Amino acid sequence: MLHEFELRLKFLSALIVLVIALLIARAGYLQVYQGDEYARRSDGNRTRLVPTVASRGTFFDCNGQSIVENRPSFVVSLLPLTAPIKPEVITRLSELLHVPREEIDAKVKAHTGYEPIRIKGDVGQDILTVIEEQSELYPGVIIEVQAVRDYLYKAQGAHILGYVSEISEAELDARREEGYRTGDIIGQFGLERIYDKELRGTNGGELVEVDVTGKPVQILGQKAPVSGHDLHLTIDWRLQAATERAVDDQLSLIGAQAAAAVVMNPQTGEVLAIVSRPAFDPNLFVHGISEANWKMINENPNDPLDNKAITGEYPPGSTFKIVTGTAALSEEVVTPNEMILDTGVYWLGEKGNAGGEVLGWLDFTSALAHSDNYYFYEMGYRLGVDRLERYARMFGLGEKTGINLPYESEGLVPSREYKEKYLDDEWYDSETLDAAIGQGFNLVTPLQAAMVMGEIAANGQRFQPYLVHKIVDADGKVLKEYKPTLLSTLDVPDDVIRLVQQGLRDVTKEGTAAGVFGAGFPVDIAGKTGTAENSQGADHGWFVAYGPFANPNIVVAVIVENGGFGSQSAVPIGKRILEAAFGLDGSIPYAEAPGNKRR
Amino acid sequence: MNKRWLRRMDFTLIFAAVAIILMSLVTIGSATHINAASAGGYGFVQRQGIFAVLNIALVVFLMNFDYKMLQRYGMKLYVVNIVLLLAVMLFGHSALGAQRWIQIGPITLQPSEFSKIIMIISLAALLEDKVGKLNTLRDLLPIAAFVGVPFLLVLKQPDLGTSLVFIAIFLGMIFAAGVNLKLLGAIFGAGVLASPVLWHFLKDYQKMRILVFLDPNVDPLGSGYHIIQSEIAIGSGQLFGKGLFEGTQSQLDFLPENHTDFIFAVVGEEMGFIGAAFLLLLYLILLWRGIRIAQDASDTFGMLLAVGITSMLVFHVLVNIGMTMGIMPVTGIPLPLMSYGVSSLTTNIMAIALLLNIYMKKQRLIF
Repeated sequence: MLHEFELRLKFLSALIVLVIALLIARAGYLQVYQGDEYARRSDGNRTRLVPTVASRGTFFDCNGQSIVENRPSFVVSLLPLTAPIKPEVITRLSELLHVPREEIDAKVKAHTGYEPIRIKGDVGQDILTVIEEQSELYPGVIIEVQAVRDYLYKAQGAHILGYVSEISEAELDARREEGYRTGDIIGQFGLERIYDKELRGTNGGELVEVDVTGKPVQILGQKAPVSGHDLHLTIDWRLQAATERAVDDQLSLIGAQAAAAVVMNPQTGEVLAIVSRPAFDPNLFVHGISEANWKMINENPNDPLDNKAITGEYPPGSTFKIVTGTAALSEEVVTPNEMILDTGVYWLGEKGNAGGEVLGWLDFTSALAHSDNYYFYEMGYRLGVDRLERYARMFGLGEKTGINLPYESEGLVPSREYKEKYLDDEWYDSETLDAAIGQGFNLVTPLQAAMVMGEIAANGQRFQPYLVHKIVDADGKVLKEYKPTLLSTLDVPDDVIRLVQQGLRDVTKEGTAAGVFGAGFPVDIAGKTGTAENSQGADHGWFVAYGPFANPNIVVAVIVENGGFGSQSAVPIGKRILEAAFGLDGSIPYAEAPGNKRR
Repeated sequence: MNKRWLRRMDFTLIFAAVAIILMSLVTIGSATHINAASAGGYGFVQRQGIFAVLNIALVVFLMNFDYKMLQRYGMKLYVVNIVLLLAVMLFGHSALGAQRWIQIGPITLQPSEFSKIIMIISLAALLEDKVGKLNTLRDLLPIAAFVGVPFLLVLKQPDLGTSLVFIAIFLGMIFAAGVNLKLLGAIFGAGVLASPVLWHFLKDYQKMRILVFLDPNVDPLGSGYHIIQSEIAIGSGQLFGKGLFEGTQSQLDFLPENHTDFIFAVVGEEMGFIGAAFLLLLYLILLWRGIRIAQDASDTFGMLLAVGITSMLVFHVLVNIGMTMGIMPVTGIPLPLMSYGVSSLTTNIMAIALLLNIYMKKQRLIF
């Protein structure tokens, strides 16, 4: 019995040793074996990286005028720390901000990490006062001051500038290694997108120690943000405004909806204005676009978010006769003086001028001035599609110009290869005739149309179109300066170009644009109208022009979708743009940026 | 006389108990931010310190008594115990969802703390003449009923942790009293089978605690939060700790109840594995001495008392520390001599005092 009793107490002793050993082992496991991991989690508990968002770079036009700035905006956010935000707080906030409960709940549900959940931006002083004075009713609700984009001129230049918005999950996944983080603002379109890296700067931040309620206790470290770089554009904001007005006035006059215009300096490639209609106000995207606004933009059949000047592909119509004419003279399939009789209906394909107009005997320049289809059918017939294709490509058609904007289209150059590849059919001569007058398998963007005209203006030189003149850091130091880049020179004799130039000048003197320009236009202008047949509806009207004729520094391309004859729809716009460019409307004429030598 | 009295003291036990109390005062100080001017100041440490000193003074005074006389009061104490627990049910005020406290003047008492030690005394008195005679269920049932009444009263408060301590005491003492091991095994088996039924009687929050114990991530911001934060605190202390007053989990209030139930996590965080293991070794000494004293006790009543006290202490240490490290469910039972709380401190010092008394009387003649 005594022995049994001793044994039992020994057993209890052993049990005690076992219990303590177990507890020490567990402590050792947590503290020594997993200590690093728990130390990391402990730091994660107590420290918050509070980002200081770098100020985004702004935009200036070629004369140093500010176009886009940043302004402070008060944002109401939720900051759930150890405890979830109470449902009644969300209800209260939903009523105060007029944001649907489901929207807030969805944001809270999707949220991870320690960054605030932004509920509504740009809240007014009245709401701020309510939240600040009744803070006990709004636990977990904070007010942040955020710098937001301010597009000073609203929709003006929207397709050039683009817009910004909070980075999406998909973009984040794709670009995380480039340093993008949740909640970052990223350029979505236009220059904002292309130059996002330069514009965004580097965010700084504070490493803050917080207590369990999220209240900062001390600052552990700091890193100052580096502001983004500013972009100085080649855009002449005054000319941009005039171009927009000219387009808008004409659209409302003729009742058309969509149009595009490009203004460039042909001697440098600098883009002075780009207009696309319909447009949008990039300010709508600043705090995340509302559903109603998005619906309005997204459901517009003319797609306001489309930059038609570089994305839109249209049959070039008669503006393509510049290419056909240059090819015909260079290939010597015709001499400048050879007279060809327009008998009305060309033998192949049985087509002629629009409206059945018959122009009689024509030489090269008068055929170009009057845009005679019969003459250019003949040129197309004599050249054949292969030579036509070669010259089109020489002008840079069928490929992107490489302008620094997103979503540029290539256009389409007529070729046997294309037809075989995509339509599995051989090329017919009648299709060469269509191609020669800019119809058929022939598509260009308004920018490409401007480039073709610009090459003629610049005696065959093709300059890379560009929008950014220089990138300047926050201290005013020029980081990068863009110079004109000569892409290629037309491999054609000088006198050919001179003949084409003469023909184009006659367009505004006696040809298809003479009616609009009249006799008294004070600057010598070369132009070309076009009417692109459109199987979907009314024809698109084209006008391309440059001036002054002797030493051109302006080239314009205008298209009015469904505008009918170019001479009636597009030419009036072009004329007003030229008037603004040369100061004929009483404004200051476009002056080339200093340092760009005129050729 | 004085000298002989001193020579009969268990200094190892006293050393361990005093060392734990000192560690407790330092840790409570850190947990209640005595270094921060704005916070509670020395309030908690002062209270705990004063009660520790008062209790120890009382212990010295009580050393002149003989524990053996307690045997005679066994049944009376038992009745007092039941009355006290009923009083809590009737007049007690609740906090944290449980009705456990009774207010007497400025002091808030938790009778269930004292009831544990009263239980040990009355159970020892009851078992004293039954040693070796616990062979059938019929022998055991009256004893189980004897413990069952206060057990249910405490469970009803509800205080699951303390009621489980009653079971630990019961098991430890009948084991020492020579209960038939086959019978004990059968009772365990029945207990396991009955657990689904018991589950049914648990309150929702108690069920949640057990679920959360099984997987703290069931409710990371609710009940699981305590366990997760406690494990982070202990783990992040690593080998040497973050230093006193430097534990971010505790100082920045990520750790809940850091001066009471989760005080071990503060030790783990601020003193590291070294400090935690040191504290556990102090408990080992304390408990080891408890069994030694049982072995050397001059009578069966003393032996049973010592085993009961040691069972109570070891259960507290295992469940409380195990809870802070995520290997035991969250039951609000304090860490003996460490956790802030006057009732718990008094109970445990009294328990140590009883052990010392039993040790002193182990041999009539020392020379």
